Amino acid sequence: MTTSAAAVRDEVVPVWDGRLRLHVKVAGSGPPLVFFHPLSGLTWDPLLDRLAEQHTVYAPEHPGTSPGEPRAIDEVATFGELLLVYDELIGALGLDRPAAVGQSFGGMVAADLAATIPRLLSRLVLLAPVGLWRDDAPIPLTEMVAGPPENMPGYLFAHPDSAAAEAMLALPADPALIPAAIAQGAWNIGCTTKFAWPIADHGLGRRLHRVAVPTLIVWGREDALVPVAYADEFGSRIAGSKVELIDDCGHAMQADQPARTWAAISDFLDS
Amino acid sequence: MKVSLFAQVPYRYLPDGFEERYSSAVTAPYGLVEPGRVHDSMFSAYAELMAGARAGFDGICVTEHSQSSYDMAPNPTLMAAAVAAATRAEGLDVAIAVLGRSLGKTREPLKIAEEYALLDVMSGGRLIAGFPVGLSYDANLNAALPAIETRERYREHRELILRAWTAPEPFPWNGKFEKYGQVNVWPRPVQQPYPPIWIPGTGTPSTLRDILANDFAFVYLSWDGPKLVGREVFDRYWELADSLGRDRNPYRVAFLQVVAVAETDERAELEYGRHLEAHYRSGPGAIPGTMMAVPGYVEPAGIEAMLRSGGPAGMLARMRTASFRDLVESQVAIVGSPATVADQIEAFVREFRIGNLMVMLQNGSMPRDLTEKNIALFTSEVLPRLRPIWDAEGWQNRWWPRGLPAPVQDRAVPVGTEGSTR
Repeated sequence: MTTSAAAVRDEVVPVWDGRLRLHVKVAGSGPPLVFFHPLSGLTWDPLLDRLAEQHTVYAPEHPGTSPGEPRAIDEVATFGELLLVYDELIGALGLDRPAAVGQSFGGMVAADLAATIPRLLSRLVLLAPVGLWRDDAPIPLTEMVAGPPENMPGYLFAHPDSAAAEAMLALPADPALIPAAIAQGAWNIGCTTKFAWPIADHGLGRRLHRVAVPTLIVWGREDALVPVAYADEFGSRIAGSKVELIDDCGHAMQADQPARTWAAISDFLDS
Repeated sequence: MKVSLFAQVPYRYLPDGFEERYSSAVTAPYGLVEPGRVHDSMFSAYAELMAGARAGFDGICVTEHSQSSYDMAPNPTLMAAAVAAATRAEGLDVAIAVLGRSLGKTREPLKIAEEYALLDVMSGGRLIAGFPVGLSYDANLNAALPAIETRERYREHRELILRAWTAPEPFPWNGKFEKYGQVNVWPRPVQQPYPPIWIPGTGTPSTLRDILANDFAFVYLSWDGPKLVGREVFDRYWELADSLGRDRNPYRVAFLQVVAVAETDERAELEYGRHLEAHYRSGPGAIPGTMMAVPGYVEPAGIEAMLRSGGPAGMLARMRTASFRDLVESQVAIVGSPATVADQIEAFVREFRIGNLMVMLQNGSMPRDLTEKNIALFTSEVLPRLRPIWDAEGWQNRWWPRGLPAPVQDRAVPVGTEGSTR
């Protein structure tokens, strides 16, 4: 059974003393799972459909990335506040220790939530998260974000010409909708990079030892944005964590290697 | 009207084809330069500003850009300080416009309050204080501040600086970005309550409204000349002024124009053509469009409008391959004999109601002798035609420096010079 896009509903949850109305996409049934999206914003893709087959998936939109509410981002001053906002959101949704899957920027969010508020989550899946820094493995975030758009696929995919990769970056078929789509896409990156600029290092490396839930770390070996060297940096700091490396796979792993990515995640969540 | 000389500090010896291989901002490789030629470029810029001050310009103007090959002016108050001191010593009564320190880029806004105040004191009240947001590449890549906070920072910093200049007592500042226990800036500007404030902007309605509401001057740094968007920007500006109850005083606005004058149109093309082409191609044309709007710098509605209109990024892309003909026909640069140049300038000055004109007379590889010829011809043949344009309307230029306040006794006049008085 697959969840169709029509089955995804939008819940608006007031948090942060009413100053934020977070949009959360919800689908599926089963134990709760929160998905934290990457830098570019939330796209309901086949990975989320798969997750929704066995979980009730809650996918919040980062403040400011919901269309029509760009300045919501101003209500969140720091990355620390963002973590508190999500703590409140999980409470407001009535979720009791949900699992969390975080990708890239969202991986940093999920990892720091687990480190900062140890009893909030039950399980943690980190898909090529940012959050650490090594001088010998620089993360070319500013180059990607401020560089020519035609370079973007090279940072994200091992196979930029694949149908899945092209689908992920596709613009609307209707030319009249393209400017709005580009504008929203750029603004989404502005909202997330507020807490990742120019280097996404909020001291997570000094807190990761506090993560006390079963943790899976998944990385593409050909990741051109966040080098695979960071897999062990996360793995070695989180006791008992498991690291899965995927061959022939870049940063957006669900596009490059959907089957292997899903196998790693589902094995872990089912175990 | 007031006519000022505007200068950037380009490295004048970039290799041919620079723009095909490099960006002129952020990543321009410093290995291309020869240190002696950096000195030559820098000192020539200073000497030309002084030549302009001596030749009769009303003011000199400088801007800030870090990590740039087309404007080696990471802190324009340094160049302005040299000109302020030298013009003071020579008794030249020229305004010093810094257009300016970027308030959305700085991590140390009180340093700007102090530097501007020092310039105003040193020059004897001749400072024009420019408060630009800062270009996206400069604020968000060079200074690496999150793009989405650029304008918030700008607003906080401007408020802090104005308060630091005017507060009678030391005060605490608990801002979002800056926190201080006791703000008590020494020195403060000699112009009271503070120097004229000029705000560079691209002409978006929100910026224009802010400028008009605060009674600041609007600076349009028109890299694309008057023809392409000038009409739209200034129609919008004056309509907003009407709706906010502001008068149509032309001194509310300042406009920058690139100009090259020779004896005849033909000689102008011959002498300036290749330098102008090289400037647009290797300077503004070699800033990648994406660096001008790092995601978060412009709100979604602004990006949409930019994409639908072709926008500044499109303009920069065209400059990368611009020919002399393109530049002249679009009036990106106004080039020719004194009569040609004066006619074209006078037309847009009257149409847009520009009271403060800034002209940029040096570009890219243009050498000092040619620039000084441009300065001499412009000041002797063109400027006299422009200066009286608004005289008949009788407006007061409230956005021009006021000099030393009357009660202050000048005790520091160098031997043989007169103090700057207005």
